[in-house]
Amino acid sequence: MLLLSKFRAVVGIAVQQLRHDRGRTVLAVLGICLAVLSMTLLGSVGLGVIETGEEKFDQSGRDLWITGGPVQLAPGSVGGFENTVYDAHQISAEIGQRDDVTTAVPLAFQTVYVSPNGSEFDTLIGTGAPARGGSVRITQGESFSSQDQHYAGGSYDGPMSHEVVISPQTAERYDVGVNDTLYLGGSIGSAQNNEFRIVGISPTFSQFLGTPTVVLHLSELQTITGQTANDRATMITVDVDDDADLSQVEAEIQAAYPEYDVRTNREQLQATLERQAVLLAAGGSLVVFAALAGITLTTNLLLSLVYQQRRILAALRAQGAAASTLVGVVGTQAILLSFVGGILGAAVTVPAIRVLNIVAETIVGFENVVSVQPWILLSGIVCAFLIGIGGAFVAGWRVSRVSPLEQLQ
Amino acid sequence: MAQAAQPPSDQPPVVTCRDVTRQYIRGSKSKFANQPRPTVTALDSVSVDICPGEFVGIAGPSGSGKSTLLHLLAGLDTPTDGDVTLAGTSTIGLSEQRRARLRLEHVGIVFQHFYLLPSISARANVALPLVEYGIGRSTRREKATALLDQVGLEDRTTHKPGELSGGEQQRVAIARALVTDPEVLIADEPTGELDTETGEQIINALSASSSDRAVVVASHDERVLERTDRVIRLHDGRLVSDG
Repeated sequence: MLLLSKFRAVVGIAVQQLRHDRGRTVLAVLGICLAVLSMTLLGSVGLGVIETGEEKFDQSGRDLWITGGPVQLAPGSVGGFENTVYDAHQISAEIGQRDDVTTAVPLAFQTVYVSPNGSEFDTLIGTGAPARGGSVRITQGESFSSQDQHYAGGSYDGPMSHEVVISPQTAERYDVGVNDTLYLGGSIGSAQNNEFRIVGISPTFSQFLGTPTVVLHLSELQTITGQTANDRATMITVDVDDDADLSQVEAEIQAAYPEYDVRTNREQLQATLERQAVLLAAGGSLVVFAALAGITLTTNLLLSLVYQQRRILAALRAQGAAASTLVGVVGTQAILLSFVGGILGAAVTVPAIRVLNIVAETIVGFENVVSVQPWILLSGIVCAFLIGIGGAFVAGWRVSRVSPLEQLQ
Repeated sequence: MAQAAQPPSDQPPVVTCRDVTRQYIRGSKSKFANQPRPTVTALDSVSVDICPGEFVGIAGPSGSGKSTLLHLLAGLDTPTDGDVTLAGTSTIGLSEQRRARLRLEHVGIVFQHFYLLPSISARANVALPLVEYGIGRSTRREKATALLDQVGLEDRTTHKPGELSGGEQQRVAIARALVTDPEVLIADEPTGELDTETGEQIINALSASSSDRAVVVASHDERVLERTDRVIRLHDGRLVSDG
């Protein structure tokens, strides 16, 4: 009962102190709120990117991904990308012949020049892919009318279909639709000579890449970008039989093609994220810095309060007030500031994430990239609480060292 | 050794100083370990007894040891030599925590600069020392209100220190010092920041409170000292007169 009464008095004084210095209190709460918001937003973005990545890999309907390392930029080369899978058609055919593999499809990404009129050109990402199958969603028109005939067993002398499937953003950008024409090529000269008919509109590849695309048969993309010599592709996607042992198939293909990396969806996502290690480290550092900034701010606020009231605190100690009581008053202020800042930060996170999602969708085309998770909001509040504990610890230590004799001389 | 003055009452002293010396080491610790640091003797072999019901003044020029003696009497400091007994307990060898408890239970202190918490009301400031006893809010408020009434501030209970005059703030500080019903009230230059008329009110309040406790006031102001029952005069840390 005595302790409860003392506790209530300490909390009451702490609240009065915070109410008395309203400007400082508001600034401290805002600071902690911003620190929490930084943590929750960065955490939500990171989590959202991973979830979106997993979702996109799952949506692709592929089980294994064969790559020759990361897609490298190759400035000065036609297409601007250095695709690292060689003899892509042949390897795909060999893998596709396995009994436990349903399909093996080579994919290539290249920068291409695009124009609706053959005179003004932009660059877009061109995708060499079949653009057919259950994983590709056609929203208008149809997919390619035929298989890739231009490859012709590696001679690249079969007829070109001159068909292209475009993303909705591409259609919007050039104000074109099904049966309209686009000029495509690895160079402007090449593009002026290659007229493609739009057969369908599909958001599948643009959502996967996060940018407007044009999709061609792989061999036709290779031809217009000069990649036929080595039959280069970015990757080969493999669909494995439902009954097959995925890890065994992965191991066998890896053994057969040791120069390439064979990965499952999750491994491929992991490898993609690992390649962004610097970015991830920067994000992690920002979270840590946000927490440290919160601790520094709260501690600074409380230390300045202790300094400002050092003589009053000394007088109270001279009157017999226990150090624990005074530490309690200062510490309670830190806890209250961090609690309010934490709750506010968590509350602001929800609308902030909505805004971020609108921005992300506008810029990269991905919907709901940033996801709100209750445990991230809770973590933000816990971090705010730890910020308060840190501030209370330092300020409490300072209060406990206030000497009546030194301050009241 | 100076002789302790005869207590005017027949009750045992509430504070006793016996042959008390207080020295301070001047300056910070030298990097030359063997070099002795100079010491300053703030108080030299002083003996005084303070009895209940006494209104005692401590006088002397600046640097004479008035504040040092007050700190020793209040249990804020301990002597280098000699002994100080407060309410029957020697302060020698007591930890700061124990001395804080001793002060809480037996001593009230009034400072020249009031030192009130600006964020809480006059009543809450007065009630502050009672928090240590874990006394409930309503009882704390009752006692604080009664004391504010006693010092003439019954209409200022909810005002914050910033809304009070200097004299009113000092009366709040006196009420705060009295709220634990201490056996000795110690005041260091309590009228130092106040005008003559307000200072007079403060002395009246202190004098009134000496009816049932010892009150010790250190002051330069002869008008304050004239109101006391007894004046202890110090010079260069030595007791010059007591009576």
